[in-house]
Amino acid sequence: MPEWPRRINEEMRQHLDDEYAALRARGVSHDDAMRTLAGDVEAAASLRPRPVDSLTADVRYALRGLGQRPGFTAVVMLTLALGIGATTAVFTVVDAVMLRPYSYADMDRIVALAETTRAGQTMSIAWQNFQDWRAQSGVFDALGLYRPMVVNLTGGAQPERLVASLASADVFRALGIPPIAGRAFSRDEDGVAAARVALVSERFWRSHFNASADAVGASLTLNGEPHTIVGVLPEGMRFPSRLTDVWLPLGLFVPTFPADRGAHPGLFAIAKVKAGISIEHATAEMDTIARRLEQQYPLSNSEHTVAVVPYYEQIVQNIRPALLMLMGAVAFVLLIGCANLANLMLAKAEGRQRELAIREALGATRWRLFQQLLTESVLMALGGGLLGVLVAWWGVKAFVASGPSTVPRLDLVAVDLRVLTFALLVSLGTGIAFGLAPALRASAVELAAAMRDAAGSRATAERLRSLLVVGEVALAIVLLTGAGLALRSFAALTAIDLGFDPSRVVTLRVALPNARYPELPRWIAFHRELAARAAAIPGVEAAGLNSAVPLESGGAESEVRYEGQPLPKSVHEDATMCLFQAVTPEYFRAMHIALVRGRGFGAHDTADAPRVVVIEQSLADKFFGAAANPLGKRIAFEYSGGHGPMAQPIWREIVGVVGHVHHYGIADEPDNMQVYAPLEQLPIYFRERRPNMTLFARTALPPESLVESVRGVVSALDADVPVFSVQPMAAYVGQATEQPRLNMTLLMLFAALALALASLGIYGVLSYIVGRRTHEIGIRLALGATRADVLRLVVGQGMTLAVGGIAIGIAAAWGLTQLLRGLLFGVSPHDPATFAAIAALLASVAFVASYLPARRATHVDPVCTLRAE
Amino acid sequence: MQHMTAAPGLDRELKKGSAELLILSLVEDQPRHGYDLSKLIETRSGGRLTFRVASLYPLLYRLEKRGWIQGRWIEKAGQRRRRYYRLTTAGAKVLEAQRHTWREFVDAISRITGVEHA
Repeated sequence: MPEWPRRINEEMRQHLDDEYAALRARGVSHDDAMRTLAGDVEAAASLRPRPVDSLTADVRYALRGLGQRPGFTAVVMLTLALGIGATTAVFTVVDAVMLRPYSYADMDRIVALAETTRAGQTMSIAWQNFQDWRAQSGVFDALGLYRPMVVNLTGGAQPERLVASLASADVFRALGIPPIAGRAFSRDEDGVAAARVALVSERFWRSHFNASADAVGASLTLNGEPHTIVGVLPEGMRFPSRLTDVWLPLGLFVPTFPADRGAHPGLFAIAKVKAGISIEHATAEMDTIARRLEQQYPLSNSEHTVAVVPYYEQIVQNIRPALLMLMGAVAFVLLIGCANLANLMLAKAEGRQRELAIREALGATRWRLFQQLLTESVLMALGGGLLGVLVAWWGVKAFVASGPSTVPRLDLVAVDLRVLTFALLVSLGTGIAFGLAPALRASAVELAAAMRDAAGSRATAERLRSLLVVGEVALAIVLLTGAGLALRSFAALTAIDLGFDPSRVVTLRVALPNARYPELPRWIAFHRELAARAAAIPGVEAAGLNSAVPLESGGAESEVRYEGQPLPKSVHEDATMCLFQAVTPEYFRAMHIALVRGRGFGAHDTADAPRVVVIEQSLADKFFGAAANPLGKRIAFEYSGGHGPMAQPIWREIVGVVGHVHHYGIADEPDNMQVYAPLEQLPIYFRERRPNMTLFARTALPPESLVESVRGVVSALDADVPVFSVQPMAAYVGQATEQPRLNMTLLMLFAALALALASLGIYGVLSYIVGRRTHEIGIRLALGATRADVLRLVVGQGMTLAVGGIAIGIAAAWGLTQLLRGLLFGVSPHDPATFAAIAALLASVAFVASYLPARRATHVDPVCTLRAE
Repeated sequence: MQHMTAAPGLDRELKKGSAELLILSLVEDQPRHGYDLSKLIETRSGGRLTFRVASLYPLLYRLEKRGWIQGRWIEKAGQRRRRYYRLTTAGAKVLEAQRHTWREFVDAISRITGVEHA
């Protein structure tokens, strides 16, 4: 028996199909048609095709099939592109932030250390404590100390602000990063004898020295002092931040550290735990040391211990919950997409049952049919994946361009080979996921059953499809509920009164080089003049300066007392902490901070005048009670003569009370009280550590239009003063709400996608059911059912699926939204209003999705349907 | 291999030859696909001649292999692709020759039987 080319099979199959269709068109019943064709089918089956490479054939066959159904293919590809694209995009961020290895050696042994109260409040490390830690601990290979800072670089075309850090020699040992040129710091440079040397980043080396070998040994003027570059650190050195360009040796700063063990001058530690020693062990040892110090120095160290946190944890802990949530959300979208596609494939497979049966009769094994069907779905998934990578690439680009400051390693977020591999795997998995059930079902179709168009098999399929729809509605409910909660949370966050009005305020920070303004009066005079000139700019309504910036967190904190306050029984009992700020008189007016009582500062509050202070309302309430008048009373937040009982409070008279200004963030503020001193009566702390003052100018115009003129005022005063952080105040608000806004935006996006897919699913299944039931509906109509009855029947069926899905979804959401608790603000994860609104939303969408096919069902012509039979 | 239900009594060669002739004639004017061919043979013969699927397509394959006809897949919107066959130059010569032989054959039969038209 000769072997025939495979195409003969295709021709014969079509012939038989055409013949079947022709017989049916002539009114022959299905059974009779099949009987008529049986002989031909049998004869055709006796022709064995020549074997060919089955995968190639499958791919060719599948591609041809897809090309013939452009609408179907487009829907599938689009669904896949969005699902795989979203998943890939989120994975790109997760990969860069959490999964990709860090350039530091033995990352798992690197820990970050900070002082903390036993109650868990973290603070920077007292210099004296650090020295004792270093002397007494035996669990670290290296224990380094650092403090992030900014320095002025002069001597170039124009002054520059550089992100810098002081760093002890052990910082580089702990991170295991050797320099690419020159040397790192030696332990000698941790001592006060250290020379003025500096390490620079590879980026700085390239931009300022064109990557020349001469850089090592060159001199940089930093904060007005010459420093010799001794080494260049590689790109992988991103500590303390990826923006750090300059590292200065610890020894240069040791003389500036407060002699007081109770002072915490912004120092933090990074260490490498010895191999074989667990982090728990290291923590335990540091706690033992802390307890020893506590006994030795009860005034400064009582209730203090050491927080030892894996460095990796420190980097990712803030972003991880959000990333995991988003990963979950996109996985849901993809699952919903898969359910939809499985449904589509099932419908298509049923339409092809006869074709498959004939193919089987012609000698294709079930395994071959299964392979073929799966090839088709995997091919579509790969195509969708390819589009998805485009979607992801675009999404990631937009995400990175939006520059979210809360995402660490943002510069590493990019679609690369790892991401492409991920997308490929997800596509393959997706193709199998949505193709498997339909392929199994279709390939297992009994020849006889298919020929008879068995009603039973159809009922099973209908049940399977309905289950898929219930599932996707449930998934959509979970996603929508999450998005709804994020939305409510964000609304609650933005509804908070910040205590100032950020709109139309432009801010700008100036860094006066100490070397140029060594005397305090000149330093103060510069800022006084700056405020005056800024206020004189046309369009500026008020301009003031502050040593701190609302919402930026950080700043100078201290214990505050009122005159006559009973002495504490122990050091830490009832200490009221405050954030103290130095401001110019117009600051409150420029920021629209409410003056509740008394007055703000005036020109008469000079250095020689009686010391005054403005405090916030809640401090007045706490110290004097809400009923009392705090004006004229005295408080102190600084002491002469150090800490402890010998300290002499520096009293200031309260002249005004203002409303609360959010300083540490929008939500979850520590209960530090805020006090303001006039810049002219600069707090002692600031005399020794001059803050970079920020100018706040309120304008009648868009704040962006003022940036240049405000900059001009600074350079007119002193062209060598670097200006930085020029931005509208609204940008600080934007940064403070960035993470929740990002969470909300992305969740809403994914939820919208889920909703669209789920409604498409309901619509698709009902359209299918209506199509299948045309005959039944025709009979019902012929027997006297009204169109309203039919409408009710179909919509009822759709709504049954939807309600089932909604119920399951609500139950699942109830459990899963618990996981969002940490990401929500001002709304319970079980907020009944959100749950109700989402259920109602999905129910109405489901109604519309059911109504459309239902309306089509009412247009069935009973006569036509009956005649067709 | 072929199942051609035709007037009984014709020998195998004749049946084979006539089947080829039928197909070649039908694709002479325009390309046709298999189902079309089988329908035409059936209708024009008034249902007296029908091809079985399992013989038609192998026959088309053989004719194509001999270079008498040439098949081409053609896709039309909304339809599955079909293989259309057209007559080649070689096929046209064969058709001409076969027509001639057939005419002579029929002529000879008519003279013997006295029937004017087959």
